[in-house]
Amino acid sequence: MSERFDSKWWLLILLVLPVYVFFQLGSWEQRGRLRCEQTVGFLVPSQYSRVLACGYKGLLADFQFLRILTFFGDRSTNQQPVTAQDWDYFRDSIDVITDLDPYFYDPYVLTEGFMTWEAGRYQEANALLAKGAQYRHNDWRLPYFIGFNNFFFLKDYAAGAEYIMVASRLPGSPGYLPTLAARLAYYGGKSQTAVLFLKQMLAENNDDRMKARLQMRLQALENAAQIEEALQQFRNDKKRDISALSDLVTAGYLDNLPEDPYGGEWGVLENGRVFSTSKFVEPKK
Amino acid sequence: MSQIILNSLCKSYSPGLFKKRIQAVDGLSLKVSSGSVYGLVGPNGAGKSTTIRMLLNLIRPDRGEVTINDQSVASGDFLHDVGYLPENPYLYDHLTLRELLQFAGRACGMSSSPFSSRTQELTSQTGIAHALSRKLRTFSKGMRQRAGLCFALLHDPGLVVLDEPMSGLDPLGRKMVCDLILDLKQQGKTIFFCSHILSDTERLCDQIAILHQGRLIREFSIEDIKSFRAGERCLEDEFVAAVGLGSGQRGSIK
Amino acid sequence: MMQRVWALALVTCKEGIRDRSLYGIFLFALFVLGLNIAVAGFFMRDLGKVTVDMNLAALSFAGLLLVFFICINLMAKDIDKKTIHLVLSKPFSRAEYIWGKYFGLLLVVLFAQVIVLLFSCGTVAYVHGMYPNYFAGFHWPVFFIAAFFIYLQQALLCAIVVFFSSITSTSFITLIFSIASYIVGVSLEEVVFYLRTQAASQDVVASLQLQRTLETVSWLVPNFAAFDFKIEAAHGLALEWSRLAMTCGYGISYIIVLLVLASIIFKRREFN
Repeated sequence: MSERFDSKWWLLILLVLPVYVFFQLGSWEQRGRLRCEQTVGFLVPSQYSRVLACGYKGLLADFQFLRILTFFGDRSTNQQPVTAQDWDYFRDSIDVITDLDPYFYDPYVLTEGFMTWEAGRYQEANALLAKGAQYRHNDWRLPYFIGFNNFFFLKDYAAGAEYIMVASRLPGSPGYLPTLAARLAYYGGKSQTAVLFLKQMLAENNDDRMKARLQMRLQALENAAQIEEALQQFRNDKKRDISALSDLVTAGYLDNLPEDPYGGEWGVLENGRVFSTSKFVEPKK
Repeated sequence: MSQIILNSLCKSYSPGLFKKRIQAVDGLSLKVSSGSVYGLVGPNGAGKSTTIRMLLNLIRPDRGEVTINDQSVASGDFLHDVGYLPENPYLYDHLTLRELLQFAGRACGMSSSPFSSRTQELTSQTGIAHALSRKLRTFSKGMRQRAGLCFALLHDPGLVVLDEPMSGLDPLGRKMVCDLILDLKQQGKTIFFCSHILSDTERLCDQIAILHQGRLIREFSIEDIKSFRAGERCLEDEFVAAVGLGSGQRGSIK
Repeated sequence: MMQRVWALALVTCKEGIRDRSLYGIFLFALFVLGLNIAVAGFFMRDLGKVTVDMNLAALSFAGLLLVFFICINLMAKDIDKKTIHLVLSKPFSRAEYIWGKYFGLLLVVLFAQVIVLLFSCGTVAYVHGMYPNYFAGFHWPVFFIAAFFIYLQQALLCAIVVFFSSITSTSFITLIFSIASYIVGVSLEEVVFYLRTQAASQDVVASLQLQRTLETVSWLVPNFAAFDFKIEAAHGLALEWSRLAMTCGYGISYIIVLLVLASIIFKRREFN
């Protein structure tokens, strides 16, 4: 009698297990779809987060940071556009994370990587980076980032130079910073200066997607710098301006006209600066 | 010389918020002379355990006084000479018997050589010497009781207070306890215990008191007890008669 | 007297250490440390900080579990099971009992913390070995100082547990009050300073009464945030000796006050 009793229970297990497997898979798939659709997560303002953390502020900051990474990672894997609302959430999240632990370096790196290149929110990025610089006052990278943003995006060469100088005085900064600051102050908008910056950014970064982006931009700028140099040479020699960029090739100052990796067409400003119709931004897919 | 004097002890407590106060002990007075065995008997809820707790200063009486060795227990210094075994002792479960006795020894300020000899002596006498390295968790009820006795007697106290020492023991255990009490009496120690088991009480005691509803209703002297032992009178009958009276008169009736 | 206090401390410590629940707490701590090793790679640069965060959180939380469950149980069990009758039948004064139990609790917590700290050091060394470039801010001395102050915080909590145990014999009430004290103690500083900045900038009237209440509370409940050196350890920030000395003094004096109060209350207790 007890033998039959035992096998009855085993039979039940065999019947119930597939049902469980079905629901397991279904539930996870549903969650995956739900996460795609979700707009932004809820954010607890920092004055409450600090209290709710109950003494584990650093850990909570780490956890919130992972959440931000996954949120934007999800957007990227699902190839969804990042809306302005998403960027507000990003900025507020980083703000809360850095309120919980202002010494935490990773949020600042993420800010510099995303809020500038992707979102175009340079002032907000600078504000966050400034908070970091206040606490991590021996870290040269934060004023460096602010300086870069001012130079490259905001075209405020004076402010850029000032921040680079601040960075150069901090321990561990690369040796070429003082010269870079000087060049910024003098040359301002030349592409060669930007090339130097970008090379440094590439060395700093180890995220592959970021590196690919920076590489592309570096290529574009190097090409632009090449054209600028050739143009400068031409003007110095011929004491007149070109009518078209192809003149540089026919006159022998360039072997061939380098391409714009972003697919745009080159143009020249009055001061000799080369630009592109693509504005060095990836075309929308 | 009286070793223990209880003088008009009163203790009441309230069982709940809106319930009437219950008088646990009401005007209890008795004297225990040095070197004698005093037995306190009574029905359940008579106040025996409460009396013992007042004796040990675990609770304070509302009125009255407890004196041990001519010193009020409120001063607290008398415990060096007292050994106590509560009813159903619960000992620290995760300790071994040896560790428990080491704790008792250190608490009484015993140095190591009297400690080891006493340990050996007591555990052999109570029959648990083989279990010295075992955890108290593994002890049976009888062994626990014996362990409690060793704990109480380790520092060779002059006064031994036992609360239902025979409760839950098998006949062998009861015999062991009786022999132990007689042995202690021969050594000149004073023993105060309360019990339900009238036959053992009759056998061991020099004086017996019956407690009922917190009052001492009858006290038997050594002559009364001798007549019980001789079979001329029956303790059980007199107990039932006394308790059956309901609320008795104050003080002792001879 | 010292011998008696030490004897009780030793017995309490043995009871605590041999409690099976301790293994559960160790397993939990090991789990968090394993999580640390697994999760470290998700972060970008500040791995040193994340590692320290998780390790100190494991140490601290294991300590909390220990105090709230095992230590409270050690205090309450004595009274529940009437073992205290046995202890007090020996020449223990009520004060000696309190101090003896307290030192016993301290020993149990010390034992558990040392073991978790050892595993923690192993974890930190391992992650450090895996990602050596990202541990720039990490300094062992600051890490150990943070661990010490976590222990001091647990010692403070034990004193609170002993204090509440002296008042009530229900372990649940002691648990609730101890947890409440912890939560208040941890959040107190944030709330007080937040209200001060609010009062300075905007409406003063509404917060003033609240501020006064909070000031009173800050005298009664210890400020646990003062013992929190986790952020300093995570980033290897410098610490001044004056700050460490002040914090130590604050903790130890509070413990002594609580235990003296507990002794006084315990003297008046009756044990039925």
